[in-house]
Amino acid sequence: MTPQLSWYLALSAVLFTIGVVGVIIKRNVISMFMCIELMLNAVNLTFVAFSSFFRDVSGQLFVFIVMTVAAAEASVGLGIIIAIFRNRESLDVDDASVLKL
Amino acid sequence: MTAVLFILFAGFAVGCAISMIAQRNPLYSAISLIGVFVSLACLYVMLAAPFIAAVQVIIYAGAIMVLVVFVIMLLNVEQEERVPTRLRSLIPIAIGLAAILFAEAAFIIFFVHTSPSTPTGNTSDVGLTSSIGAGLFTSYLLPFEITSLLLLMAIVGAMTLARSGGLLPQSAVVVPGYQVLAKDVLDPHAAPDLTPVVAHTTVEVERLLGLENAPHLRDKG
Repeated sequence: MTPQLSWYLALSAVLFTIGVVGVIIKRNVISMFMCIELMLNAVNLTFVAFSSFFRDVSGQLFVFIVMTVAAAEASVGLGIIIAIFRNRESLDVDDASVLKL
Repeated sequence: MTAVLFILFAGFAVGCAISMIAQRNPLYSAISLIGVFVSLACLYVMLAAPFIAAVQVIIYAGAIMVLVVFVIMLLNVEQEERVPTRLRSLIPIAIGLAAILFAEAAFIIFFVHTSPSTPTGNTSDVGLTSSIGAGLFTSYLLPFEITSLLLLMAIVGAMTLARSGGLLPQSAVVVPGYQVLAKDVLDPHAAPDLTPVVAHTTVEVERLLGLENAPHLRDKG
């Protein structure tokens, strides 16, 4: 028995839901950042599964672009995290509820 | 055989993801997230996408997670303290909604059979590096170039955000060329007087600041 497309989609949905739950329940901004990375990876799994089952290369190109966006997001997001920590001495998102430094 | 491998890797991915949420120390959740990335790379290999699998390991598990772990170490993040749960009355509603969502997903998986059931073989050249490169430089050239612009913006943005203080370092004393100095820099007794004093050359600035005997401060260029 070989894995069907729906198996991969179900796994992707589970991972995405875990990521959403993590973003909601976590208060540490770095943990929230990692949960966002997990959601991006769940979407990547969907792209690759569709690309592989439909024999179309476009999905993997989208995965490549999503990875680039994730790398850019990591650099800018961690820069923002360092700036917040430098100003507030805290990584709790409730301490940074005012949208200015 | 592949079903067994799929269940193994999927179980490892879901277990690592749940462990990532359950950990209170961000460093442990980062390590769990690396486990998720590696098992997803194994799933990409099963889906006949070796290039994406390699890029997943190199970029995600290599570059991005090293950056995250570096920031965690740099900021010396302490463990999250346990705070009492707010809105406790919403928990049964949340469980009910989750059950409805799970039932919908199970219905779709078990009763809707419209998905293509063609197994992925090794005869396809979809996931190979050559086909990805050909697609990237022919029909998807514009997104590729926009991606490079995005990376440039990310570099500039990260540098601007992470830099501390103003444009000049604290040790900058003499800047060559036409410049304007506040008067209280030259004379401490004239502190409230903010009339600017204009100097036109480096030598003049040095004379005004009383720095003629400090040649090491002079710009070598």
